Amino acid sequence: MAYAYLFKYIIIGDTGVGKSCLLLQFTDKRFQPVHDLTIGVEFGARMITIDGKQIKLQIWDTAGQEAFRSITRSYYRGAAGALLVYDITRRDTFNHLTTWLEDARQHSNSNMVIMLIGNKSDLESRREVKKEEGEAFAREHGLVFMETSAKTAANVEEAFINTAKEIYEKIQEGVFDINNEANGIKIGPQHSTAGGAAGAGGAGAGGAAGGGCC
Amino acid sequence: MDFFKSGLKTVLGAPEPGHQPSGAEIVERLVDRVNNSTLLEDRRDACRALKAMSRTYRVEVGAQGMDTLKQVLELDRADNETINYALDTLNNVMSPTQFEEEENNPRVPMNIGEQFTEMFIKDHHNIQLVLDLLDEYDFRVRLSTVQLLTSLLTNRPKDIQEIILVKPMGVSKMMDLLGDTREVIRNETLLLLIKLTKGNANIQKIVAFENAFDRLFEIVSTEGYSDGGIIVEDCLLLMLNLLKNNSSNINFFKEGSYIQKMLPMFNTPEETEEAGWSPQKVSNVHCMLLIVRTLVSPSNSAQIITSCQKIMKNVGLLDALCNILMSSGVPADILTETINTVGETVRGEVTNQEFLGNVMAPSNPPRPAIVVLLMSMVNEKQPFSLRCAVLYCFQCYLYHNEMSQAGLVQTLLPSSTDMSCLTSGQLLCGGLFSSDVLSNWFSAVALMHGLIENPVQKEQLLRVLLATNIGSSPVSLLHQCTLLLQQTTKLKSKVALLMLLSQWMSHCPAAVAAFLRAPGGVGWLVAQTCANEHDDNEVLLQGLCALLLAICLHFNDDSVENYSKESLRQLLTKRIGLEVFSSKLSEVSRHELYNKAAKHPQLRAKLPADVLIDYEFCRLFKVLESVLIQSLSGPQQNGASSPAPERGSPDSGTLEQYKTLIRQQDARLQELMAQLEGLLQQNQSLQGALNDSLSANSLLKDENTLLKAQVSAAKSVPSGVQVPTPSQDDVRVEYEAKLQTLAAEVARLSSELKTSQEGQKSMGEELEKMRKDQDDLLELLADQDTKLNDYKLRLLSLGQAVDDDTPAPAQPPT
Ligand SMILES: Nc1nc2c(ncn2[C@@H]2O[C@H](COP(=O)(O)OP(=O)(O)OP(=O)(O)O)[C@@H](O)[C@H]2O)c(=O)[nH]1
Ligand SMILES: [Mg+2]
Repeated sequence: MAYAYLFKYIIIGDTGVGKSCLLLQFTDKRFQPVHDLTIGVEFGARMITIDGKQIKLQIWDTAGQEAFRSITRSYYRGAAGALLVYDITRRDTFNHLTTWLEDARQHSNSNMVIMLIGNKSDLESRREVKKEEGEAFAREHGLVFMETSAKTAANVEEAFINTAKEIYEKIQEGVFDINNEANGIKIGPQHSTAGGAAGAGGAGAGGAAGGGCC
Repeated sequence: MDFFKSGLKTVLGAPEPGHQPSGAEIVERLVDRVNNSTLLEDRRDACRALKAMSRTYRVEVGAQGMDTLKQVLELDRADNETINYALDTLNNVMSPTQFEEEENNPRVPMNIGEQFTEMFIKDHHNIQLVLDLLDEYDFRVRLSTVQLLTSLLTNRPKDIQEIILVKPMGVSKMMDLLGDTREVIRNETLLLLIKLTKGNANIQKIVAFENAFDRLFEIVSTEGYSDGGIIVEDCLLLMLNLLKNNSSNINFFKEGSYIQKMLPMFNTPEETEEAGWSPQKVSNVHCMLLIVRTLVSPSNSAQIITSCQKIMKNVGLLDALCNILMSSGVPADILTETINTVGETVRGEVTNQEFLGNVMAPSNPPRPAIVVLLMSMVNEKQPFSLRCAVLYCFQCYLYHNEMSQAGLVQTLLPSSTDMSCLTSGQLLCGGLFSSDVLSNWFSAVALMHGLIENPVQKEQLLRVLLATNIGSSPVSLLHQCTLLLQQTTKLKSKVALLMLLSQWMSHCPAAVAAFLRAPGGVGWLVAQTCANEHDDNEVLLQGLCALLLAICLHFNDDSVENYSKESLRQLLTKRIGLEVFSSKLSEVSRHELYNKAAKHPQLRAKLPADVLIDYEFCRLFKVLESVLIQSLSGPQQNGASSPAPERGSPDSGTLEQYKTLIRQQDARLQELMAQLEGLLQQNQSLQGALNDSLSANSLLKDENTLLKAQVSAAKSVPSGVQVPTPSQDDVRVEYEAKLQTLAAEVARLSSELKTSQEGQKSMGEELEKMRKDQDDLLELLADQDTKLNDYKLRLLSLGQAVDDDTPAPAQPPT
């Protein structure tokens, strides 16, 4: 499918906070009740529309377990957006945010958009971290904030799409150098004002074979 | 040598008169110089000299100079030339290849490069030093660094991969080099990345994340796709590494629209046909085909396969592949691999199968591509691998597709009108009864795939009649198969026909009845099953005959008078015996070729001799085996009670008997579980001990290598000096003694290791046996359970109260 832009995301945060579930809910609209520990990283993708433009999101879901931390670090550089996730029912996952943020700031490009996410908002009765605390942390560190539930899908779309909007705005403002792929942004094969999305397939590189798709 | 020595004078100063320094001595002095000189020029010269000696005196330079060279990498970063000498020296020392200079030197162990690599990477910081040098833009330094990393990876791939993975930006740095505008560096980086990514999913994912596919397709397209040089092949090999068994990357590849980008690779312009294919082009296209197959390999998840297949169809890749199939002048290797690829691209995907079914070959008269392919399959003169590929492709075409299965059978039915043109069915029938054994086998298996899980076509195929001799009445295909089975002397043909009949008759009482009516069939099967030959293939044949007999029994609808279910059962128990029968049956899955075939849908035969069993047949066998055995032993348990128990005597004694049996088995099961637990623990502690001694061993090996090197250095000193000074001798003796103790220690440890490995192995075997026993018992238990329930039901239906805690299903008395 043709897209105007392609953004690369990573999802980071402690193990068990629901990173993989957020991705699955976003790409497949499903919820997975058992914790299927992520080993290394897993890839997912989806198309969204912003401002009438097709935007392809490529998302790398990382493993939260300490043992995979150095692998995760390889993914900061080259990502345009990051979802930093904690679990509102486990205060320790909130306490670790500073470490995560330091890691992210140290290894990513300075323009990377970070969205702070307090997940499992459906478990109100077991809440350990107040919403206000999340907001305060985000304000203090210049992040966007949202509470989500990968189970009920509440705010899941919004979390991914708002991050994309933020990146999109930065592009409009000229903050991102979109020709540098290390920023995690690519311009689509034909950078036109997104035509009928259904028809065109991706054109071949090198321009020679432009047409023969779909 | 003289050249060296004269050149070295300047570095070392004039030698003492009358003293010819040995190589080891020179190395020692050079290392000293690198360590102690304050002037950069001196250090540089010494490094240059070390590099010059590092091929002929690899052991000495490695043993004495390793640490010094590492220091140079750290401290002399400012001087590219010195760094470069140090890198090249290290690269020589750890090179995986043997140098010409050392071919006749028995003192250099074969795996010396690997041993030095092992020492070098003990300190992970060393790898970091080398990685840091990748930041250097200087051409020589960068090139040498890449080459050194490649050597290290060749020697110890797994270790280096794990080290690099935890180095910050380790993989990313190497990926950056792929963008280097200097082609030599880019090309060497490709080789490095191929080694780096081999078999490590985590690294593969990072490399893909770092836009590898974009970079690689850029290179492939600027180099001219399939017409490009070896660099194209390297790019494709790297892609293959990134995708193989890596579903995350395959998903990324698919989502990133890279499938489309493969298309130009397969667009072979018409004009080049005559010119023929260069060997490089053959390799390039071959790699590209392998990439396509990796995406749609049957071992991937169904979701990935289907979506990749759909994209391949939509972007015209399948079309392009079919064009290669139908064009002339394509080398046989490529044609074969293309046929396999087309097969996997359509396998189980209805639209694609239909597309393939409609491809027409540019023959005269025009024929469906499928028919042309099958013509090759039943043609003795075609290459063996090509014929295998056609079979696989045809199987893929039929796989999970009732329409293409029906289409095949349709071509054989009397109603099919056009007799003039050649059809798939006719080709297969021809092959089935041809004198070429392979044609028999291929055709029978192909036909069998037209019947899989398709009861309608099984019945339809019964209607097929063959005209044999003019004048005599036509014979049904099934009769003809039965006849051939009895007449042929060739094992392959027999096996093929038995597989076909098994597939045909399973779940199809009408086919069973037809077989039972055919003259001689049952008798022949019984005789074969009873045969007593022990050759592997004969045993297999006996098993297959047993299988077909069991199918005759299990799927029997009692419509053939002489062979009703019951009379067949009695025949088998009397003539063969239950135990013999089931043991013969179980032999089938023990055959080597059965196990080979069961692994993968594609027949992976290198030689005609490897062709015997088909994958789908294995699946059928697995499903049927236990069912059939059960049905055979059926209602006649212990031969005691007849199928309909006399009313009034459903003795609670039997019930009690079973309960006791179950209790006993339960106890035995517990006992076995406990034993298993014990064995597991024992195994674990053995494993621990083994690991300990392994690491001790490796430590000693290192020490040994180092000492050997030092001894050889020490040894060579006296040769140069007229009178060996006593102290040197002492040292030597001491070293030798130490060496001997160490060698002894190593020997002791290896033997210890061996014993403990053996112990572990026998433990493992025992464990396996216990597991199997346990499985058997569990199965038996389940069996007994069913029976128990049966009896309970029977008791209930006879109005007996059952004093049991488990509630029996409520059944209204009738
Ligand atoms: N109730 C509720 N449970 C959730 C939610 N999100 C995730 N979970 C549960 O939390 C557990 C962990 O979810 P994952 O998505 O596998 O966690 P992860 O962050 O990917 O963990 P790692 O892969 O180890 O880093 C699972 O059992 C999920 O079912 C949510 O929004 N609400
Ligand atoms: Mg996860």
